[in-house]
Amino acid sequence: MKIRNSIFGLVICVFAASSLASSGMEGQPAPDFALKSSTGENMRLSEHRGDVVMINFWATWCGPCRQEMPLLDELYTRYQRVGFNLLGVNIDDDSGRAMKMIEELGVNFPVLFDARKEVSKLYFVEAMPVTVLVDREGNVRHVHHGYKPGYEEKYLDQIRSLLRE
Amino acid sequence: MTKSLISLFAAAALAIGSAAVAQEAAPMDAPSAMADAMTSEASESESRQEFRSLDQDVQTLKKEVLDLNRDLFLLEEELLFPANSQVAFFISMDVGEYFEIDSVNIKVDGKEVANYLYTAREVDALIRGGVHRVHMANLKTGDHELIAIFTGKGPHVRDYRRGATMTFDKGIGAKYLELEITDRVKKQQPEFVIKEWE
Repeated sequence: MKIRNSIFGLVICVFAASSLASSGMEGQPAPDFALKSSTGENMRLSEHRGDVVMINFWATWCGPCRQEMPLLDELYTRYQRVGFNLLGVNIDDDSGRAMKMIEELGVNFPVLFDARKEVSKLYFVEAMPVTVLVDREGNVRHVHHGYKPGYEEKYLDQIRSLLRE
Repeated sequence: MTKSLISLFAAAALAIGSAAVAQEAAPMDAPSAMADAMTSEASESESRQEFRSLDQDVQTLKKEVLDLNRDLFLLEEELLFPANSQVAFFISMDVGEYFEIDSVNIKVDGKEVANYLYTAREVDALIRGGVHRVHMANLKTGDHELIAIFTGKGPHVRDYRRGATMTFDKGIGAKYLELEITDRVKKQQPEFVIKEWE
């Protein structure tokens, strides 16, 4: 029983530490990166300075990501014309699988491939999905770990308030 | 005693009364109105001047902050990359008809030091004559090997991957190397040249 409790405690600690690491990014300049996108183009975060950018880290093996992505796509479609951008960063080793899932889900936002996991390291991504909101000045403003139904309402409020700034 | 007190009060009352009359009459008095207007104008111009000098102060302060920022940046660079061991690698492009760069990978002495992906905007900037400092490092004096691998779209929009190798001698003082992509019209192929800046 003691061992089980200590393992449980350790797991909680590791999760809390990883969340703390990326939560500590709030208010800090968002680390810049460039990745290849699903359209074949290279995309760089700093080229979106002036827009509110949502970076969504996802993987094909992550169930909540599959649930969340169509909802994020709705937000992207609605606010894209007023200066909102969504970059989905896939961390799978095989980008083919990711492409298949994008087609299945029918999402339209740009998906970037981080097969070398360099960008996920920059953003301390240790859980799936992780959603980061970057303001017009290029600073990280909100970091969300995981996804539960209802989170999209939170995203909506935060996007709207960042767009108003 | 009481008489003198009464006369004193009477004198004081008279004085107050006359002052009040004078005050009431003042707005009707044209020269004093002009004087008032002049004083208000003077105070306005004074405040304008004050505002101007405040604005100048702010501008000077801004300039000082910018200068300080520049000095700090230079100092930081000097500390991180001392001129004696500094090596910088630049990418440039001439015309770009036979090659559209996608990425460049740089290895120095077999160790990967830079892997840079170019966005469409950056490629456009290179074609327009821009030079990109892709990497800066500290290297010991002596011979070093540089391998640059370029990937992108070659002639007929085909995937293209080419490497360029060079051994360079790092002496005392900073070293600047330019990786230049040019078009070889005769062969209708791109050419990758490494040049040393003198």
